[in-house]
Amino acid sequence: MAKTKQAVSYKTAAARKAKMDKYYKIISLIGFFLLWELFGRINYQTLWIQPKFLPMPSEIILAAYTYLADGTLMTHLGISLYRVLVGYIIGVIIAIVLGSLISTIKAFDNILTPIINLFGPIPIMAFLPMFILWFGIGESSKIILIAYATIIYMISYVTEGIKNTDPVLIRSAISLGVSPLQLFFSVKFQSAFPNIFLGIKGALGTAFSAMVVAEMMGASTGLGYIIVFSKNWFKMSDMVMAAIVIGLMYSVIFGILTVAENILFKWKMDSVGSAVES
Amino acid sequence: MAVVIDHLYKAYEEKDGEMQYILNDLCLNIEKGEFICVLGKSGCGKSTLLNCLTGYLKPDKGSITVSGAEIHGPGPERGVVFQQHALFPWRTVSKNIQFGLNMKHSKEARAVAQKYIEMVGLTGYENKYPLSLSGGMAQRVGIARALANDPEVLLMDEPLGALDALTRDSMRKEIERIWKLTEKTVLFITHSVPEAVYLADRVIILNRGRVQLDQKIELERPRNINDPKFSAYVQQFESTITGVESNAVITE
Repeated sequence: MAKTKQAVSYKTAAARKAKMDKYYKIISLIGFFLLWELFGRINYQTLWIQPKFLPMPSEIILAAYTYLADGTLMTHLGISLYRVLVGYIIGVIIAIVLGSLISTIKAFDNILTPIINLFGPIPIMAFLPMFILWFGIGESSKIILIAYATIIYMISYVTEGIKNTDPVLIRSAISLGVSPLQLFFSVKFQSAFPNIFLGIKGALGTAFSAMVVAEMMGASTGLGYIIVFSKNWFKMSDMVMAAIVIGLMYSVIFGILTVAENILFKWKMDSVGSAVES
Repeated sequence: MAVVIDHLYKAYEEKDGEMQYILNDLCLNIEKGEFICVLGKSGCGKSTLLNCLTGYLKPDKGSITVSGAEIHGPGPERGVVFQQHALFPWRTVSKNIQFGLNMKHSKEARAVAQKYIEMVGLTGYENKYPLSLSGGMAQRVGIARALANDPEVLLMDEPLGALDALTRDSMRKEIERIWKLTEKTVLFITHSVPEAVYLADRVIILNRGRVQLDQKIELERPRNINDPKFSAYVQQFESTITGVESNAVITE
């Protein structure tokens, strides 16, 4: 009997396709760096751009190696990671607490919402000089800026998420005998959690921008500082290296958050109704 | 008496200084263990009645008494089954059924949930999430969740309204079986006349916020829909609702 094509379910096919897509993406990245290196090497001969201003990937790797070898990279990376994580986590906690109060207690809504709406549209970076004057050039002004950036970005995700709880879920919970506090924690917050998590993920970007800016103004440590310092000495490869390390740091934290999201919201993946086979 | 509804009035708005009563002097007594089906045209007040019984709406005048105590607002002694099942999507089937007991910090939550999972025929689905269930299965979870709280009255708001005809038919039999097992008092809102005749001990037809007809169904259970007496009831109710003698309306 002739060998027939083995039957493959939609799920298996999708998994295979996802695997292939992953390879394509990796190939794209490798290709990008190879092209960059190639262009840099040709540029050394043709001098289209002053080669000092366009470091090649190999030079950047060399810069990273030097920084790693004398331990300075780890020191700067460590201090940046400390600032961004502390500021971000404080910001997330405050945003959740404030957002919960605003969306459940009318008085908080009336008092806080106008103030948040007043400060919200002002670019966060505009506050840095003020924060430095108020909180000094130490760690606190940087951490406060990062926390502030996180709060401003996140708070509407919290309030909107909680306010948009499906009323029928509230009704059914009340009929099952919940107390007001249980209603908040077991229904409203749970139902808002995916939206809040969206805010948590998005706020990571603003937290990182705030960190870099804070380190570029009035700091003598951190990856942002390396960028400014290298600029002053025309060390382009150090600069690009620092930028890439910031990007990698962001990606690692973002990746951790994505894994956490997939675990926390497993119940969403269970749906057949959301599949579109193609 | 399990439920006593005494001269109930409810209006949403007024016109020329007069209240526009959706429920207008409605009186109804329900005995313990009785299965009541409420029928009526759209706007007859059946949803308003249910919302007053659950406690989501407060009546303007009159009172509702459940097992001797007047109700004020929602409470766990009145279980509700919703048309859109209203399950918590982030909780598994078992956790949804345990919800009411978890809120009371009951230690038996798990065992009780298991008992009702078996009763509604969902063994094997304990750890599934609601989004992966079909409409009929989700509604079984909704019924089990309401029952796990051991309410005195079960209020069902068109629970089969969102299901397809075949599922609806099997769910109807399921509800009858579960009702017999648990011996709960049930108030069931529907606009399918045959469904009401199939399920109810007593059919209530509402019209302009009042009880227009209160009819006992004297048929043996399980009921045979091909029985001429069954059809006679259906025809009687249809003509009462529409006000037309001939059966020119296709129901269901």
